[in-house]
Amino acid sequence: MVKTIKKNNPIGRLLFSTLGALLLSQMLALMLTLMLSGCAKKGTPARQALTAEQFNRARWEEIVAQAAGGEVNFAMWSGDEARNRYYQSAVATTVKQRYGVTLRFLPTSDVADIVNKLLNEKGAGKNTGGTIDLVWINGENFGAAKQGGVLWGPFAEALPNIKHFAEDARQRDFGTPVEGYEAPYQRAQFVIAYDTARVPDPPRSIEKLREWIKSHRGRFTYLAPPDFTGSAFIRHILLFYLKQNSGGAAFDGRFDEQLYQRAAAATIAYLNEIKPYLWRNGETYPASPKEADRLFANNEIDFTMSYGPSFASERIARGEYPATARTFVFEEGTIGNYSYLAIPFNASNAAGALVVINHLLSPAHTLEQGRELGSLFPLSLESLTPADRAAAEALPLGPATLSGAELARRQLPEPDAQYLERLEKDWREKVLRQ
Amino acid sequence: MKKPAPVKVAKALAVIAVTGLAATPLALLTARSLAQSWYWPSLAPPAWSARAWRYVFSPAAEVLPSLATSLSVALAVTLLAVIVALPASRVLAWQEFRGKRAALFALLLPVLTPPLAATMGAHSLFLRYELTDTWAGVALSHLIGAVPYATLMLTGSFSRLDPDYEAQARTLGARAFDVWRHVTFPAIAPGLAVAALFAFLISWSQYLTTLLIGGGRIVTLPLTLVAFQRGGDEAIAAALSLVFLAPTVVAAFSVARFLKESQ
Repeated sequence: MVKTIKKNNPIGRLLFSTLGALLLSQMLALMLTLMLSGCAKKGTPARQALTAEQFNRARWEEIVAQAAGGEVNFAMWSGDEARNRYYQSAVATTVKQRYGVTLRFLPTSDVADIVNKLLNEKGAGKNTGGTIDLVWINGENFGAAKQGGVLWGPFAEALPNIKHFAEDARQRDFGTPVEGYEAPYQRAQFVIAYDTARVPDPPRSIEKLREWIKSHRGRFTYLAPPDFTGSAFIRHILLFYLKQNSGGAAFDGRFDEQLYQRAAAATIAYLNEIKPYLWRNGETYPASPKEADRLFANNEIDFTMSYGPSFASERIARGEYPATARTFVFEEGTIGNYSYLAIPFNASNAAGALVVINHLLSPAHTLEQGRELGSLFPLSLESLTPADRAAAEALPLGPATLSGAELARRQLPEPDAQYLERLEKDWREKVLRQ
Repeated sequence: MKKPAPVKVAKALAVIAVTGLAATPLALLTARSLAQSWYWPSLAPPAWSARAWRYVFSPAAEVLPSLATSLSVALAVTLLAVIVALPASRVLAWQEFRGKRAALFALLLPVLTPPLAATMGAHSLFLRYELTDTWAGVALSHLIGAVPYATLMLTGSFSRLDPDYEAQARTLGARAFDVWRHVTFPAIAPGLAVAALFAFLISWSQYLTTLLIGGGRIVTLPLTLVAFQRGGDEAIAAALSLVFLAPTVVAAFSVARFLKESQ
């Protein structure tokens, strides 16, 4: 039958081919189903899902007991060799020994991808059995995740080790109220790197910086906002004028339209004044921190900036920056903020995530991380035992890293997120396109 | 007939130019992966270091397991894409039917839509059918991109082959399998090799699709690589890029050799 159709009938041939394709796709589907059911059987048995309400009522020991033997999948930014090594060996081993929790890492390059994944899962109704139990997050990604309802909680205020963190870290993350949906984890503060061999005495204030730029044509630039670091740089100038214009009263960080208008006008004027003296006459700006790094290391510009106080020391250690590189902060202070740990709404092992988070907030871990990675010590010293406090004060610093005490003395809080949005818009219209 | 000398010289120069174009980036990547630091205006890196390669082959980097996952997914995708593309391209090349243009358009849609939108849509769909977070789901999602390319490649091969050759073979008494083995397959083999290469490369280079559909459980090489590219550790990014490139170079060379032999 098939043979006769096949011979010389085009419609028959089409039918034959279509039938063949259908048959193949059916086989394919069958194969996939078999493989999938195989995978599902092999997976770990589903744990009883812990709700945030249950957690807030439970005693901590119960949570620790529930977490034992489980696996926690940590979506941690994985672009740093030293950090990956430390977490995959020392941290994973400690967590396993102390709590019986297996820590696995999901290579993550951009948390926004993770937030999109969670939003999609929420839309599709996948409310349990998620692949991520723990995520390192902050700022706008946290804002988007919280608004989208893809975070588990509130939990942070019920963690035993939350007491080591200062109030400001626990309340607002770039203007988004934290409300217990993430726990503070690491501290960051804006610093500027320079090379003592090239610039022995860097301009340590906003005013001095303006004069320096004008007398050193082409040797300064900043990243174009909305880059995280570039946006922070112009925010420092705005903060300077916000304080100047708040008429003697202390500037409290809250958004005020009239105050913004006055300060923004002065900020835009400052930025336009330095513009012709910037690298490439201010006609273009480096597009990424990597490019700015390269310009600095290539001796094309004299300063780079970062939110990581130890970034210059790390680059010296990697041989990328000269050994004479150092960092400074403005006399007026620089903006500091925190990054956080959060639990996705559909985490398979929320109890395990809670135990891991609490460990990562502990004095023992933060001290060890300070020694291993040179991270800025995030805990408030007043909350520590005398021994821990002494250990924190004795943490070794990289050659280019400022001490935690000095940074803390010059730390400014992030102003309201509205300032950031407005200034980025004004910068685009009145500085970039001017 | 002997070729005149100028033609030979021109040919040699062309070969050198093309080889240089292909080899220079590889040489630069190799140098960067071994350089401790390398900045303008130094022509050669001032200091060398095996740091990046030590990391790439350390267990912490998890490069070898992700390489194995990448390979297994890409090979499965190649096989499946070719299996799906063979009958489809045969029909598209040899038959005229109502809705052929619509079929072609539908086939091209996954390639034409912006990747982010297509991936997000696929993710929602895969979630509904509980295909996420598995190896098979990831392979299936790569097929969305691989099948159109493989089909288009093979459609070209089939349209250059006259269907009457098959008819002739059958008239001479060949059975269906013999027709395939002795007539159709040899004629489309070069196209088949290129289609397979395309399918392999498309699967090999997926990033967002693997991250979303695999949920981070299925870790392929691009997932490891992209973090370092964005993180700015150029030495490790260069070393990982070379590990990433190696199988594609091997695949491309074997296809090129096959094409030359089958000429």
